[in-house]
Amino acid sequence: MLALHKWKILLILIVANLLLLACLGTGDIKYWREINWLDILGEGGVSLLSLVWLLLILHSRPAGRVTNFFVLGLAGIFLASFQDALDEIIQIPDSVSFDQWVESGLMPVGLLLLTYGIFHWHKEQLHINEHLRKRERLFREHLIQDPVTHLGSAEYLRRQLRMELLQHHQQQQPLSLLLLDVDNFAHINRRYGTDEGDRLLHELAELLLLNLRRCDLLCRYAGDRFAIVLPNTGETMAQMIAQELANAVRHFAFKTSRQGESVFHSVSIGVALALDDSAEHLLARANQALLHAKEKQERDIFLAA
Amino acid sequence: MKPWYERDTHCILAHQQPATLIDMAIKRGIDSHKLLRGTGFFYEDILAGNLQIAPCQYYQLISNARRLLPGDDISFLLGHRLLPGHCGAASAALSNARDLQQALELLLRYRLLLTPLIAPRLHYDADFLYVYWQDTCGASGEWPFLTEMMTTALTSLSRWLSDQHLPWRCYFSHQQPRYIEQYQVHLGEQLTFNSHMDAMVIAREYLHIPWINASPSAAIVAQREADAQLIAMGFEGGFLERIYAHLLHNIQRPTSLDQVAADFAMSSATLKRKLSKHHSHFQAQYDLVRKCLALYLINRQGWSNEQVASYLHFHDANNLRRAFKRWTGVTPAMLKIFTP
Repeated sequence: MLALHKWKILLILIVANLLLLACLGTGDIKYWREINWLDILGEGGVSLLSLVWLLLILHSRPAGRVTNFFVLGLAGIFLASFQDALDEIIQIPDSVSFDQWVESGLMPVGLLLLTYGIFHWHKEQLHINEHLRKRERLFREHLIQDPVTHLGSAEYLRRQLRMELLQHHQQQQPLSLLLLDVDNFAHINRRYGTDEGDRLLHELAELLLLNLRRCDLLCRYAGDRFAIVLPNTGETMAQMIAQELANAVRHFAFKTSRQGESVFHSVSIGVALALDDSAEHLLARANQALLHAKEKQERDIFLAA
Repeated sequence: MKPWYERDTHCILAHQQPATLIDMAIKRGIDSHKLLRGTGFFYEDILAGNLQIAPCQYYQLISNARRLLPGDDISFLLGHRLLPGHCGAASAALSNARDLQQALELLLRYRLLLTPLIAPRLHYDADFLYVYWQDTCGASGEWPFLTEMMTTALTSLSRWLSDQHLPWRCYFSHQQPRYIEQYQVHLGEQLTFNSHMDAMVIAREYLHIPWINASPSAAIVAQREADAQLIAMGFEGGFLERIYAHLLHNIQRPTSLDQVAADFAMSSATLKRKLSKHHSHFQAQYDLVRKCLALYLINRQGWSNEQVASYLHFHDANNLRRAFKRWTGVTPAMLKIFTP
């Protein structure tokens, strides 16, 4: 990403050089005994660190308005502290005042600009979070993400479920869990290859997301089994959502990549309502309900006892 | 004594079963050099089509893949692709099996071609068929991976060819892992962990349901070809598998390291060295055979401790009970649920 910002970096370094030249031109280098090494270490450290921050931020961000504020702010801080450090080495006569201006003027301006940048970054992040909400709620943990569907994994599901159950007990709100399994998924893998199978899972994940509410959480349990956490949802509502999901999948015409033919799928869904049980127990009940749904092929959905 | 293959015998065609794992890893973006580090062969060698690798190289490959590939589902995904597989005539014969019974017999007969590291052992009683998984060459750390892989492979094969879910019950000797969801989705809910054996069990009524897509004539031709391939290879089984079979066959007669070494036409020191090469020793193998037999006789045949004790040459039932506790961690009276 640094290549995007090379002109900005170049400009900052040129200004720093000009400052150095201006100081050398107007003042004299101090004698060894006049130099306060502790000050140099402190002020030089600040200027070096602010340069490191600047590079790290430039390296991780695309070009844009927020990035520009970061650059201006950090550049101000860097130049002010750089001038501060130069003052420790070079004796500038009292008649020259530009060093005062750089030192005391740039620092507050830089801090203000940086603050403004951080404020907008925060707004930008809220926006992104909103976008990602149904995929990964409350916090982002990329380590427990499934690489095929980019959904949370079973481990993530269990953590979220524990948190949701805690809330469910405290607030006396209903909570439902759906487990959704693609019928005859193994045949897709055998017939069209595992790449097609993976692509189907990815597209189904997108399809399911479109049919869920903002507060719901979709995870990939394992293989072709998806888990959906429905907060504040009672039995009737959960069954309705399950039916909607089953209908959506049934009408979804998956196109194979080689022939472009349409392949249709049905799903079986197990529904379990949270009682006073643990996440593991709730999952076990949903799994049982799913098995019942699979046995009775004429019905897609089965509610756990 | 028929010949056997050892850890370092070059007997596995690299472009068959190992290539399935290699392809999967490469497709997931793993560098082939990293994947094959320490195995002693290169990706280009496989493409030649006649490279034979040794079990120890295959173990190394599995160990590398497990380290490099993220996710808990590698063994299961691999299992789905393993059978009937791409092993030439043996795979063709298997995919044309007329029912589960024949598929299992073929899997047993062509195990060297289809599944060289983990061999099935079939056992029938009045109501059930038992498939016990047997370590052929000392898998040690890779054993749970292999059992996950083969259990999935057999479940997936029978599901595919029979076109219905077969109610397999699966037993694993390892502890229930954190990623239990993979077992539930790929193998079903009938799972037992911390079992005394690694096995799969199914009611006998499922053995003879005809599989409609089988072609009998293609099956005959493929079998003939695969048989010829086996004869050309000239192996009867893996080293540990042969030791196990030999001990089981001679269980009625008192045995010792020296006796078995003589039967295998080698010195005691050589046998000891070979066993240790396969991460085992004589007592462990002997105990394993007696444990499996005792479990079967007590649990399935309903023999009393006294009967088993005299069958296995124990002085009395108390001695058997102590040995049994040592093998399994429980006394014969306490054992029920964890045994296939």
